[in-house]
Amino acid sequence: MPTVKIDGIEVEVPAGTNMIEAARKVGIDIPHYCYHPHLSIAGNCRMCLVDVEAGGRGPDIACNMMARDGLAIRTDTPQVATMRRATMEFLLKNHPLDCPICDQSGECRLQDYYMEYGQYESRLSDPKVTKHKRVDIGDHLVLDAERCIACSRCVRFGDEITGTGELRLFNRTDHTEIGIFPGARIQHDYQGNLADICPVGAITNKDFRFTKRVWYLKETDAVCTECATGCNVRVCHQQGQVFRLLPRRNDAVNKSWMCDHGRQAFEAITGLDRLLRARVQGQPADLDDAVAAAATLLREAGGGVAVVLGHSASNEANWALLKLTRDNLPNATVYAVAGNDPGAWDRSDDFLMDADKNANSAGIAALMAHDPAIRDRSDLVQALADGDVDVMLVLGDDVLGRLGADGAGVRVIHVGSFRCTTSDAATVVLPAAHPYEQDATWTNRDRRVQRGRRAIHPAGDSEPAWALMERLGAALGKAPGATSAAAAFKSLASSVESFSGMTYQSLGNGGAVLASPPSPPTDDEDALETIHA
Amino acid sequence: MDVPKPRILTRRWGLEGSHTLAVARKHGAYESLRKALTMEPSAITQVVKDSGLRGRGGAGFPTGVKWGFVPPPEKRGDKPVYLICNADESEPGTFKDRYCIWNDPHALIEGCLIAAWAIGAKTAYIYLRGEFKFVKDRLDAALAEAREAGLVGRNILGTGIDIDVWTHLGAGAYICGEETALLSSLEGGRGQPKLKPPFPAVEGAWRCPTIVNNVETLQVVPWLIEHGAAAYRAIGTEKSPGTKLFSCSGHIRRPGVYELPLGYPMIELLNDECGGLHDGRTLKAVIPGGSSVPVMTPDEVARATMDYESINEVAGSYLGSGGFIVMDDRTDLVAALANLLRFYAHESCGQCSPCREGTGWMHSILQRLAAGEATEFDIATLRDVANNIHSRTICFFGASAAMPVQSFLKKFPEEFFGRAGVDVPDDWQPRAASAK
Amino acid sequence: MAGAFPRPPDQGHGPVSWTDEEQARIEEICARYPTRKSATLPVLWMAQRKWGWLSYDVMKLVAETLGQPPSEVYAVATFYTMLKKQPTGTYLIQVCHTLSCQLVGAEEIIAHLKKKLGIEEGETTPDGMFTLMRVECLASCGSGPMMQIDDDYYEQLTPDAIDAIIDGLRSGQPLPLPRPEVNKWTFRSLES
Repeated sequence: MPTVKIDGIEVEVPAGTNMIEAARKVGIDIPHYCYHPHLSIAGNCRMCLVDVEAGGRGPDIACNMMARDGLAIRTDTPQVATMRRATMEFLLKNHPLDCPICDQSGECRLQDYYMEYGQYESRLSDPKVTKHKRVDIGDHLVLDAERCIACSRCVRFGDEITGTGELRLFNRTDHTEIGIFPGARIQHDYQGNLADICPVGAITNKDFRFTKRVWYLKETDAVCTECATGCNVRVCHQQGQVFRLLPRRNDAVNKSWMCDHGRQAFEAITGLDRLLRARVQGQPADLDDAVAAAATLLREAGGGVAVVLGHSASNEANWALLKLTRDNLPNATVYAVAGNDPGAWDRSDDFLMDADKNANSAGIAALMAHDPAIRDRSDLVQALADGDVDVMLVLGDDVLGRLGADGAGVRVIHVGSFRCTTSDAATVVLPAAHPYEQDATWTNRDRRVQRGRRAIHPAGDSEPAWALMERLGAALGKAPGATSAAAAFKSLASSVESFSGMTYQSLGNGGAVLASPPSPPTDDEDALETIHA
Repeated sequence: MDVPKPRILTRRWGLEGSHTLAVARKHGAYESLRKALTMEPSAITQVVKDSGLRGRGGAGFPTGVKWGFVPPPEKRGDKPVYLICNADESEPGTFKDRYCIWNDPHALIEGCLIAAWAIGAKTAYIYLRGEFKFVKDRLDAALAEAREAGLVGRNILGTGIDIDVWTHLGAGAYICGEETALLSSLEGGRGQPKLKPPFPAVEGAWRCPTIVNNVETLQVVPWLIEHGAAAYRAIGTEKSPGTKLFSCSGHIRRPGVYELPLGYPMIELLNDECGGLHDGRTLKAVIPGGSSVPVMTPDEVARATMDYESINEVAGSYLGSGGFIVMDDRTDLVAALANLLRFYAHESCGQCSPCREGTGWMHSILQRLAAGEATEFDIATLRDVANNIHSRTICFFGASAAMPVQSFLKKFPEEFFGRAGVDVPDDWQPRAASAK
Repeated sequence: MAGAFPRPPDQGHGPVSWTDEEQARIEEICARYPTRKSATLPVLWMAQRKWGWLSYDVMKLVAETLGQPPSEVYAVATFYTMLKKQPTGTYLIQVCHTLSCQLVGAEEIIAHLKKKLGIEEGETTPDGMFTLMRVECLASCGSGPMMQIDDDYYEQLTPDAIDAIIDGLRSGQPLPLPRPEVNKWTFRSLES
C-alpha cells in the first residue's frame, strides 16, 4: 500500500485511492463537486485543485490523482485558496443566485463552499446566460438548467448506474446545458438519486419540493424495509413528521442509492390504511384491553394455535414472538409464511429492488435454522385445510392474503401497521409502529443485520411490535424480556447461534453479516487439501 | 538569408497532378514504405528518435519518443494499437495541413503506413475537420488509388502486412484538434478532452494504445526513412532539427505557406518570404505560432529565429503550429484580442468550469473595452480571469485562451488602459492572479 | 407541450427511414470502427445530406440505427456547429470572421453580402435561397477574406467576386469553383 503525504501528514492507503479519499482519512476535506465515490471520475469542476509538493507536477486535481509512493500534496497554501476562490467565481458566473426560492438552499455546495472558500466581492458587469427553467424531466424530478454547474454527475449516474442514459450536456461553451432529449422523460425507478447527487439546485425532487427548508429537518439513520435489500437511509423529519428519505451510504448494501418506491414509502406512515387503534371484534379498543383479549383467545383456544412469524417484522419482534410462544404456549405451532402480500409493490430488478418484498426473510431463515420446529407455508395451508387452527397469531404479514384464505373458522390476532385481509378478518388487532417509529434490526438478503433507529414517535396507539410482544407475553404469564429493542436483541444474540456475539454497538452504522451455519462435511479430499495448503 | 531551403514536405508540391498516384510514385512516393516494411518496427522508431523530429501540431513533443510510449505487445495484451492522424487543423492562423493533403496526399498515406508499422497499428484514421470535405474527397480518391495498387489494406506490397487507413470527418469544433478531444470525437461522442492520465499512448481511442500525430509530422516520416536521421539533423538547429511549414497571414504582401529550415530568422520570413508589410506601414505585433501563443513586439520579432527555443527565449512565446499572423500599425489591438476571445468563447467545449465560464467572461469584457465601455477595473478582472484559467483546466485550451490575453496585457498595456481612458498604472502587475 | 425539455420550433420530418442502399452503406462505415457509436458523425453527415438538416425525427433515427440513446445523438449534434439543428436556405453562406480574415477585411465582406442579399446575419433570403452566417476560422487564413458555401471554399474575396458568385448561384449557373487557387501554396501579392 502506497504512503502519501497530505499537508505534511503521512497516510497509507490502498493503491488506486485518490487524494480526496486519502485526505478524508486524515480528516482533511478537499472540496469537490463532480467527484462522487460511486461514479467514474470526470475532473471537470476543478474545485479539488491542490498543490503538488513532491511526486508530480502541480497544481492538479485531487480526484484524478491516485496514491503512489512519494506523492505529497498541500491543500493549505495561499495558491490553493486562490484557486478555490477562482473556481467559485467561475461556477457562480452564470448561476442565477436564486437561493431564496431554491430547494437546495441549506444543503447546496455552492453556498457551503462560497462561505468556506469564496467570500469574494462580485465583479460581474455582464449579463448572465439564460437557460431552461422548471423543466419536467420525470415523475419525481424537476430541472432548472440555469442552476447547473455541468458537473455531469447525473449524466454519469444514468450511464453507469441505471444504464438508461437520458441526461446529457447539450451545446458547448457557457451555453452548455443539462437536459434530456426533447419530449422524453426519465422513466427509471431511481430518479430520486439524481436529485441527491446534484450538488446544486439544478435537479430537485418534486415530492419534497417546497415542503420544508432543510435546515429545520432532523436526520435519523434507519433502514428501508420495503424489500429484502435493506437500503440504508436517513429519515428527515421535524416534529414527528417525516418529510423525505435520503439514501445513506453503505458500500456493502446500497452504495449511495435507493429506489423511488422506498424513498416515498414513508408516506404510508400517515396513510389511510395505517392501523392506529387497537380493535377487538371490529370495535376500537384500549390497547391494554386488546392485549388482554388476545391473551384470552390464545389461552382458551379450543383447537390448535398457529403462531405466524413476520417476514417484514424486525428480528426483535420475531424473536420476542418465538420466545413468548415457546415459554407460554407449549402446544402452539410456529409457522413462517414466505411470499409477498397481495397488492404489494410488484417491481423488481437485479439492482436494489428485490423481488422479495419482505425486509427480514433472512432473519426468519436464521430463526428457522435455530428452531427446526418452525413449520413452513405448506404446513400452515395443510393445517388450515384440516381445520386444525382455531386461533392464529400473526405478526405483521397479511398471512390470509398470502395464502388466499378467508380465515373462516379461525380467530385471528393481527399485530401490524397496515390494514389488510388479515387485519380485516382479525378478532383482535394490535397496532404496530412503523419501522421508522422504532429501534429495531432487520436482516437483509445478504444476511446483513442492520439497525434502524427511531426517527419519530409511533403514531396513534401503536407501539413497536417487540413491545407489543412483551405486553402479550406478560399477559400470558411470562414476558419474553423485550423491555427494549436492545434487550430483545441481546436475548436474541445470546440464544440464536448465527446472531452470536452481535450487539447494537457492534452492528454500528453498517450492520454485520450473520455467521454462516457450519458447512456440511465434504468428502472431497482434494478440496480439503487445497484449503489446508 | 542565404541558407539552403531544402524541400522535404513540399518536394512534390506544384507538380502537375501531384495528388495522383502515378505522379507521386514517379517522384518517389511509397519507396520509403517498401524499405520501411523490411525494417524492424523498433528500427523505424529509432530513426525518428534520432532525427529529432518534433510534433508539428503545436506542442513540439519529440515524435520518436511519443511512439516509444506505446506499451510493447507483451504488456498490452490483445489490445490493438491505433494510429490517428490529426488533420483537424483549426488553430487560427494555421492552414498548412490542407495544402499538405491537397498537394501530396500520398505522402500522408505513406507516412501513416510507416508510422502504423512502427507502432504496431493495423488501423489508422485520418481525422479531418468538418469544413475540409473537399480535402477529404481528394484524400479519399488518393486512398482508393493506393488501395487499388495494393499499398493500403491487406498484404501491402506483398509483404503480408495489413494496415487499413480510413478518413473521418469532424463537424465543426476547434477543440477536436486537441488530441484527446479528437479521440472522443472519433469514438462518436462530443469532442471533449479526456483526463490525463491515462495518456493516449497507453489508453487512447477505445481505451487502446493510440498515437496521434499531426499531418505535417507524418509527412516527414517517408523522407526520414529515405534519407536517414543524420540528413534531417543537418537541417535546422540542434534542438529543432529539420524544416517546418509556416502559415503566414495578416498584413503582409504574400500570405501563404512556406517551408523553411527551423532557426530561420523571423524578420527574414517576414520581409523576404512574406514580401514584407504593405507600403507605408510599420510593424505593430506578430503572433508567431497560431492564435494561442503569446504575442510578440517588433523588437522581439527582430531578434527571434523560427524555432522552438528562440521564440521562447526571446519573447516567452511558442513556435506552436507555425501560424504566423502579422499585424501592422493600423491594427486595433483591443479589437484584435476581442476577436480572438470571441473565437475561444465560441469554441470552449464547456466541460470544465474555468474555461467554460472564463472564456465567455473574457470575451464580454474585451467587447466592452473595445467599445470604450470598460474601466481599468475591468482590465484587472480580465487579467485575473486569464490567470485563473491558465493551467487549471483539463486540456491546454484554457491556457490557449489565456495566453493571448496575458501577453497582450503585458506587452501592450497602453492600448488597453488607453481604451479605458487612463494611463497604465505604475503598479500594473500583469501576472498577479487572484479573485478578490 | 408544457414543461418538456427545450422544444425549439421543430416542424420535423415526420417518420424517416433509410433506403436499403443507405443501410448497407451505414453498415460498411460501422465496420471501420470497433464500435457502432463511432459512426455517429459519419451517419449524422449522411442524414444531413439526405434530409437537409437534423430534426428530432432524424436524430432519433440515427440513435436507433447506431444503438444509442437519442439524448446522446442530440448531445453530439449540439456540440458541432456544422450539424444543422434548423433548416437553412438552399445555399448556406458562412463567412470567416476570425483574426487573420478580419485583418484583411472580413467585416467589409460581410457588410457587402448583407447588402447584396438584403438580409441580416442569421437570416434567410425570402426566396429561401441563401442563409448568411458568420463562422470562426476555416483554416484559410492566408487566402482571406473567405467564405464557405456549403462544402466549397471561396477565397481572396472582393465585393466584385461576391457579386459574381451570388449572381451565378441565383441564375442557376454557378461559377466554376476557385480550385486552382487552392492548388497553390503561396499566393500572389494582394496588392498586385
